[in-house]
Amino acid sequence: MDEEVTAWYTEPCAQCSAVAWGVSDEGRFYCRSCHNVIERTREVVDPTVTPGSSRISTIGRGSRTKRSERGRLWMVCEGFQFILKNQADALLRLGVQTQFKDQVLCELWRLYLQKSDQAFTHTPVWSSQFKLKRPGSDSESGAASTYMTSETDGEMNLPSTAGSNAESYSDWSVFSGSVDATSYLSTQLKRGCGLMSMKKTLALIHIALTWSREPLTLSDLLRLVKEGHVPYVNAHEELPEEMKLEGKDSLIFRVESVPSHRAVHQEALKLILLLKLPAFPPISRQSLLHPALLSLRYLTDANLPDDLHPWLCRLMEHADMADQTLHTLDPSSHSVLPRYDVQTAALVIVTMKLVFGLDDHTEWDLSNEAGDQDDSGSVFSLRRWFRLLQAALIRAQDRRDRDLARKQWRSKKPLHMNRKEKYVMTKKRRIAEQLQLCFEKLSSRPTAAEPGSPSSFRFYWGGEDGADGPSMHHMKLGGAVTMKNDVLTPSNPTYWHPALKPCISRNCRSHYSEVEPTLPRTFIWLLKLFSFLLDVTPGYLYDEVLSVERRVFSDKSPLRRKTRTRAQTRTRARPGKPQRARETR
Amino acid sequence: SDDPLLSLLSSATEDPNKSPKETGFHQSTRTCLERIREALLHHRWQEASEYMACYPQMLEDPTNGTAQHYKELIWRLSTEILHHHPNSKMEDYNNIYERMKNSGVRHYLMICLEHSFHLMLNGHIEDAKRQLSVAESWRHGKESASQLQTTKLIQAYRSLLDYIIWCDKKSTLSDDHNQDMHNYFRQASVNLKEILRNPGVWDPFILSYVEMLEFYEDHSQALQILNDYAYDSNFPPNPNAHVYLYQYLKRHDCPDKKMSKGALKMLHLLVPSHELMLEYSSFLLQSEKPDIQKAFGVILEMLDFACWRDNLDVWKILPFLEDWKNAVSELMAVRKDWWPALHFTTFHASRDSAENPELMEVKASLTKILCPGRTQRFISQHFDKNKDMVLKKK
Repeated sequence: MDEEVTAWYTEPCAQCSAVAWGVSDEGRFYCRSCHNVIERTREVVDPTVTPGSSRISTIGRGSRTKRSERGRLWMVCEGFQFILKNQADALLRLGVQTQFKDQVLCELWRLYLQKSDQAFTHTPVWSSQFKLKRPGSDSESGAASTYMTSETDGEMNLPSTAGSNAESYSDWSVFSGSVDATSYLSTQLKRGCGLMSMKKTLALIHIALTWSREPLTLSDLLRLVKEGHVPYVNAHEELPEEMKLEGKDSLIFRVESVPSHRAVHQEALKLILLLKLPAFPPISRQSLLHPALLSLRYLTDANLPDDLHPWLCRLMEHADMADQTLHTLDPSSHSVLPRYDVQTAALVIVTMKLVFGLDDHTEWDLSNEAGDQDDSGSVFSLRRWFRLLQAALIRAQDRRDRDLARKQWRSKKPLHMNRKEKYVMTKKRRIAEQLQLCFEKLSSRPTAAEPGSPSSFRFYWGGEDGADGPSMHHMKLGGAVTMKNDVLTPSNPTYWHPALKPCISRNCRSHYSEVEPTLPRTFIWLLKLFSFLLDVTPGYLYDEVLSVERRVFSDKSPLRRKTRTRAQTRTRARPGKPQRARETR
Repeated sequence: SDDPLLSLLSSATEDPNKSPKETGFHQSTRTCLERIREALLHHRWQEASEYMACYPQMLEDPTNGTAQHYKELIWRLSTEILHHHPNSKMEDYNNIYERMKNSGVRHYLMICLEHSFHLMLNGHIEDAKRQLSVAESWRHGKESASQLQTTKLIQAYRSLLDYIIWCDKKSTLSDDHNQDMHNYFRQASVNLKEILRNPGVWDPFILSYVEMLEFYEDHSQALQILNDYAYDSNFPPNPNAHVYLYQYLKRHDCPDKKMSKGALKMLHLLVPSHELMLEYSSFLLQSEKPDIQKAFGVILEMLDFACWRDNLDVWKILPFLEDWKNAVSELMAVRKDWWPALHFTTFHASRDSAENPELMEVKASLTKILCPGRTQRFISQHFDKNKDMVLKKK
């Protein structure tokens, strides 16, 4: 019986030079004449295999294992397809409706493949290059073009490629697990980018969510990504086993950051142009993305009184912002994809400015009055609110920083550019793991922060344990608003704003950093609160506040009917030099 | 600052790479490092170790240029935390040291040295020696100047460890240990001889070498190296070198007093307040032509230092100097502005009378010679006190 296992091994024994090998009980080879045991061992054989079959004769050559290691042929867009699918599944698990994935995202993906000439077209980009990439292989072109032009059916079935004779790549410069990584990368550079990238997957998802009118805003999506509920960093780990990622694939699929709100929004705009989408389904007042309803969420999260909501709605009307056309994207009419989250937060801020002044004086005077007049504790005092929120904000920021410090970025299946890098990085990985283990044991605490359960809200206000503080939602605005001519108006007669004229130069970004020292501290703090809630920079939010104010004070606005005389303003607005101004009645 | 850890930390947290374009990965590691630093500065060791568990991913930073810098940081941070954390064990140290050694070539030797120090300090002499033996034979690429320096240190400490083991074996002296002991001596002496040729301060090394040489009665060699250590002008001035030489000569009753005197003379130049100056003054007085002036000068220079102020042995020598009055005026003239205030105030008088009457007697007898102006007040105090005591006795 041993002969079958040892027949192919013809090395003479080191001790007695005989060639007569047997296999011991432990599986080691031993010399039959002198019983010298050597290092070579029998490969573990599948017990279901009958001895004498052809399989055993290949033990030790290793070709079988190598073949399954190489995996099958795959293309970069297949990889993205899988990643998008995983991202969509994660969202479905979080409560998003299934038509988001099956109807909307799937269609958008097909549209993208078509518009980028990767599939669903008679002139696919890759077929000729596909042939050239594989020197010495069987002709795959037949299979490739079939794949390209076939219609796939409703589900996200992966079009399979024929055969799996992976050959070794002798040319390391095109070294990659995928078939077309090199040409993918060079095209990405050339065309100025319609091609899918990791960042763009989020943009595509965002577009699909908006189209499906899901109440998940872009900042919600990015938060889910950062907290690990939606795959992004190391999303490539979830690709099927047979798709091996190596070499240049790392340039495509490796990420070191979660992109910013601004970046994803820009990508979304570009994608919309590429895809030539028609008008989106309208976002009406009943939609949760519309400021009317979205603002309720933000008011609740920020522990602001519900009574502010009617004021916000009035402001919306005056600024001509209630109409659904503003919030619905229609590419043909050159409207821009709205940033629902940022815009709504800006509306909340402007409402608060309207009611409380936020000029470092008015709001505190109002708070004093509220404190004096109210014994029952049912009148909203900004001072009390500020103290509560400040404490909660500091705690929340600390928690976020802590989670950031503990976040582990390295993948369980690391991607490397080449063999040398792989060798070096594997060594470093081992050292890092050892160190990590040592300190985990020492501190008796695992590294990664447990991902909390996802929530639409950053804070929790109420009476129970674990709340960030008592709720102020039910409180009344009290002296902050009064009756004047039978109309409820804010007691505060003035409204301040910096120069609103937009900069002429298109290269002019944000002036926030220049202006910030001149603005009231309460206002800046409020910006910081909402930029924390949305995880954007204060400057980004500030620009949106300005644009809301422009609408409010534009000539077309019905606000002019009130006795606010913009013409008498004492500002001298020059582009790029915003100043504080006071408008008086 | 001197502390390498602190300077590394401050340069790392002020990294110019912290730009708006910073990646999420860098943001995480930077925040983690800041938290470790805060925890360390506030002695929150448990917290530091929790964050330290999250930090090693920095080693896998794909932007390779920064990696070197962070290897040293991680090495020093880890050991610092281990020093203070209540649960740290020897195996943790060994683990960390071994990992960081193998993480790169630049710090290999230094980490070996530190590792072996740690083992030494915890009593694992054999392990410490093993570490250094491995490190001794390590070579990588072109030897830089710092590598050479560190290698020398490693050789020296390895020999010191051999000496320590030799001492152990000596204390359990038996026949079969003899050969073993001798081996250690041989191994140690090769390196020690080498190392002592390099200018530097090698006090513990030379003492161990001399001890071994004395044991094997190789006096000429011992004397040779002690002399070289004391008199080689390439070496930094080291008072201990002369002390060692003198003590050796004294131990072996060396007949040639010149050498001993020479050593003490050099010592006097370097450290006039050294306690051996008493012996030096005896030397000066015991020779055929006693150099009283010199001896007086030596004693006076000792008394220039406050540490000898109340020492009776030093003061007592003075009255026995004969014919020293010529010397006095010259030497006291230099000191007249501050010496009396150092020794002959009324405060001293009252304190000495109370605490050290014998000293007071000696000083009183010298006042007239040393501090003519002071005599009245100083002695009157003394006599007054005496009178009281005499009266009391009655």
